Amino acid sequence: MKKPNSSPSRLVSFDKVNKSFGATNALIDCSVSFEVGKIHALVGENGAGKSTLGKLILGVHKHDSGVIKVDDSEVYLSSPRDAVELGLVGISQELSLLPDRSVVDNIAIGRETTIGPFVSSKQTLEKVLAVMEKYDLYIDPSRLVGSLSVADQQKVEILRALNTNARLIVFDEPTARLASHQAEQLHTLVRSLADSGTVVIYISHFLEEVLKISDTISLLRNGKKVRTGPTSNETKKSLIEGMTGSDAGNLFPKKPKINANSEVILKVKGLSRINEFKDISFELKKGEILGIAGLVGSGRSELAHAIYGNRVPDSGSIELYGKEFIVKDVAHSIKNGMAMVPESRRDQGLILERSLLENTSLPYLKKFTSWLYGLNKSEEYTEVDASCLTTMIKHSGLEKEVQYLSGGNQQKVLFARAAMGKPRLLLADEPTRGVDIGAKKVIYELISQLSKVGEAVIIISSEVEEIIGVAHRTLVMSRGKIVAELSGDEITKTAIMEAAFKEG
Amino acid sequence: MNNVIDLLKKNGIVIITVVLFIGLAVTTEGFFTERNLRNILDQQSTILIAASFMTIVIISGNFDISVSSIFVVSPLFALLVENATGNIYLAVMAGIFIGLAMGAFNAIVVTYLKVNSFIATLATSFMFFGLGYLISDRSLMRPMGDAYQQIARTKFFDITSATWLALIIVVMASIILTQTRFGRNVFATGGNQEAARLAGVNVSRVQAATFILLGGASALAGIVSSSRSISAQPSDDFSFIFSVLTAVIVGGTSIAGGRGAVWRTVTAAFFLAFMSNGFNLNQIDPLWQRIILGLVIVIAVAIDSWSQRKNV
Repeated sequence: MKKPNSSPSRLVSFDKVNKSFGATNALIDCSVSFEVGKIHALVGENGAGKSTLGKLILGVHKHDSGVIKVDDSEVYLSSPRDAVELGLVGISQELSLLPDRSVVDNIAIGRETTIGPFVSSKQTLEKVLAVMEKYDLYIDPSRLVGSLSVADQQKVEILRALNTNARLIVFDEPTARLASHQAEQLHTLVRSLADSGTVVIYISHFLEEVLKISDTISLLRNGKKVRTGPTSNETKKSLIEGMTGSDAGNLFPKKPKINANSEVILKVKGLSRINEFKDISFELKKGEILGIAGLVGSGRSELAHAIYGNRVPDSGSIELYGKEFIVKDVAHSIKNGMAMVPESRRDQGLILERSLLENTSLPYLKKFTSWLYGLNKSEEYTEVDASCLTTMIKHSGLEKEVQYLSGGNQQKVLFARAAMGKPRLLLADEPTRGVDIGAKKVIYELISQLSKVGEAVIIISSEVEEIIGVAHRTLVMSRGKIVAELSGDEITKTAIMEAAFKEG
Repeated sequence: MNNVIDLLKKNGIVIITVVLFIGLAVTTEGFFTERNLRNILDQQSTILIAASFMTIVIISGNFDISVSSIFVVSPLFALLVENATGNIYLAVMAGIFIGLAMGAFNAIVVTYLKVNSFIATLATSFMFFGLGYLISDRSLMRPMGDAYQQIARTKFFDITSATWLALIIVVMASIILTQTRFGRNVFATGGNQEAARLAGVNVSRVQAATFILLGGASALAGIVSSSRSISAQPSDDFSFIFSVLTAVIVGGTSIAGGRGAVWRTVTAAFFLAFMSNGFNLNQIDPLWQRIILGLVIVIAVAIDSWSQRKNV
């Protein structure tokens, strides 16, 4: 193991590197170097070029021009394999593990110790155990990866990287799917990796996290590097200003007032579904924004899906607008004035290969359909256009496929879709996940607008600031139960976190 | 430049078909004659009828192998009814009805029993083939009257009724796919099933409908074919599905679901027909015809996979 020496030694450096995808310049004249023993954070909005930078180092993409040097000699990384051979590996947000294989198999994949043509399980295991011991990171080697928690799966992936003698590890949004105590553990691990001489490149949307753990921060905007400097010189405010290129101002709009005796839109009583949530009761008034906080896996999304009709609750009852509502299916819930912005826009939200028009109007096509003439496309076009305008989607034509939109705009498409139905109850699950600050602001504004016109909104989020900034009232869930109800000034970070970690 | 590449990528199948057509018209004697072209149209009709609706099934994210068996069994049932009643309309209706019923059976196995569509329709194929032997008592069947052969052979404006039927079915499938709510739901289901469901699309019902429609279309194709040959015979012959699939895939409809078009399938069907017709007129050894056909399919699928990679 190399000790970090007094003079910083560069492992990887970029000199005027360019990369474009079609007409989009993802990275422009980027010069930056990554030093041994440092945690180097990359910060920027979506599409700023930070993931592209990471992928160039990992050989996922090839650069168009400029020089990439590893150990002070120029390299051409044309595949991830080239990068791995130089000790450059990545831990991605979507883990790339084999769920049906054991921990040791996953860690040693491609690097099994062999005797002749046969894999020696014993020696492979010993090698893996040695790596675990060296970094003080133990996971039962015989367990199936699929049975581990997300946090442990991530550790397996880190161990796999360490097993390849990685000298540089790129973490791309590693904490996006972790609960906060798991994130803490990861931070400690990352720090110890850096201390032992590994270069860590840390890409994250969470600014507090970046400020807390990194040594150096590089700020990117629209494919260009704005500045690189020690973390101690930055604050959250300076980063936001640097990322957006202007003073971001207040992220959250003023919370609209709700009338104490306005109509109850939704009343949930004793709702349960086995292994998901238990005995959930709450009320939601017209114009109210209700936050649901809690750890990932606490049953938040499952509850929303049960109200939305994607799964049927086992017991309990739901009243909608004062009448009993029997959960049947999604179409039935939509007909009764519900809309949902699901957790994952790629997996649950959008049909990426289809147009903006088709994606937006999908749930409400009936409105434009007559038996004799089929779809009335001009009417559809007008309404979708209006909806995209109110949600401020930047697009180059309603007929363009949504896969070409930026993450923030894709997320806004889901809101445009929801707005088209003029719902009375909106269920928004992680409404700003993986979205840049500009788009976040628009989305918060939209939610606030909806509640002003009298819609009831349920917002589920892992970002505590978001809940504090948007919700009138907050339920905290833990292990499938509601463990706290907070309203007004009671909604604080500590109150939410304390409740979330309380044993249910 | 990018726009040109995009255009080529989107319309590649049309361009090569036109190029092939012109090439053959210039070089090959007997290709660009009214008689030859009419023949091609007539020959392609059965494939076009089934392939149009096969396109829809594939876009919705499924596969249907049982097209061959429905193609074989339906005319047997139609002839059974024709032999019993002598009523040609009743016979055609019965044939199509049994096709729809077999499609519905596929739909149940795929959407309710949740069996992978490829496996499910392979299994039902054997059942349907068996049903064919049962209906026909394992022997060749012929129509009693002369009316049956007129289903495919009547001429309107010098063009056979088989060709007209194919035209009607192609236009119908195309309208269903592009102009209706059902068509949108087909694309959504094949593109992202989970997203479609959360948008309120009844995914199972959409998929079931695509199978039932294809069952009906395959039955019609079988009836047209038997009317042309004035007979029907029980068999275990899977070859029809391969001609149908080839047209759909060479046309560029993605086997992963979510993208494709009926016009693509139709163009590809003609591309393949011109190719084989050109081979025959130039007296190319059928041995080489096979090898080249296989190569064309590989190239088409490779181009599809390449162009999708470039999109990312």
